Amino acid sequence: MKFFAIAALAVLLLASPANAADWIIQPAQSQLGFSGTQTGAPFKGSFAKWTGQITYDPANPAAAHVKITVDTASAATGDTQRDGALPGADWFNATAFPQAVFEATGFVAKGGNNFVADGTLTIRGIAKKLSLPFTLTIAGKKATAIGQVILPRTDYGVGQGVWTTGDYVGLNVDVTFTLVATQSGD
Amino acid sequence: MRGSPPVRYDLAAILLHWVIGLGIAVLIVLGLAMVHLPLAIGLKFQLYQLHKSIGITVLLAVLLRVLWRLTHQPPALPQDMPAAEKTAASASHFLLYGLMLAMPLTGWAMVTVSPYDIPTVLYGVMPWPDMPVLSTLVDKKPADAITTFLHHKLGYIFIALICLHAAAALRHHFFLRDGILRRMLPFGG
Repeated sequence: MKFFAIAALAVLLLASPANAADWIIQPAQSQLGFSGTQTGAPFKGSFAKWTGQITYDPANPAAAHVKITVDTASAATGDTQRDGALPGADWFNATAFPQAVFEATGFVAKGGNNFVADGTLTIRGIAKKLSLPFTLTIAGKKATAIGQVILPRTDYGVGQGVWTTGDYVGLNVDVTFTLVATQSGD
Repeated sequence: MRGSPPVRYDLAAILLHWVIGLGIAVLIVLGLAMVHLPLAIGLKFQLYQLHKSIGITVLLAVLLRVLWRLTHQPPALPQDMPAAEKTAASASHFLLYGLMLAMPLTGWAMVTVSPYDIPTVLYGVMPWPDMPVLSTLVDKKPADAITTFLHHKLGYIFIALICLHAAAALRHHFFLRDGILRRMLPFGG
């Protein structure tokens, strides 16, 4: 009996269609970038590794849910010295805090294709409320969200000790993202 | 099996001497400028990185030089040179070797325990590790104070000693005319 129960459950699970409100991120077309200044000179970088789950039904934006998980050790700016420092204890402290997370429930429509996701951003274990503005364009089964937000890095403890001032490394970090996702199921 | 000492330094010793000498001259200028001049922060940062890169390069050259010195007999000093001067020459050369090692080692230690904790990347290309043991210290503040003090004070002693070394070489060349400087010149032996 037990066997049949499990088998029946498995069949049910496999057969159940994917939720049409689930979106699958396409990493190759997506990008999570950041830019800042070091000794007055601008630099750009991006996170190579991040994943996310997105639930969004255009008919009901308030029920949308997004969770993006970023591998903090994957930050790269094209400079060996800077990239060597970023995962260190003074910066992301990637050993102790391997992931940064943004999680939001409900998109607020702001007219046209403008939205805001009010959520929580957690970096180095410090969680803060964050309103993330973005534009959302849906073409067929493909959605493209583009957004930008300026984060004061010290709000999240990124830059400890001598780095808590903006003398060498600017305090504001400009975070940009292009997120391409495809609708699952049919 | 100790043969009679050579008349001149060989090519390896001459090359190492002048490469190290040039490197140290650049390091002194960079070191004084980056610490004392009111430079733009970007330039200051770059000068520190260059100082570290050249410093480690000189350290490696000095290790070769020490290896050469341990395996070779240097040319003898002139026989008519007063014993006190010979002693002074040996002592100052010994001190020069000591400082040629102490300066880059205290510098490397300084970088390792620095509150800035900036990774060393030689010439922006080649990562260089932090100094063993020191890098594992839990509280680096005392070590930071000690290494900074040593690197700076030894630096001034080193500058004085290098001036003495150069002045002595010029005295031998222009006043005593005993050919001592010529033994270390690449040409005109």
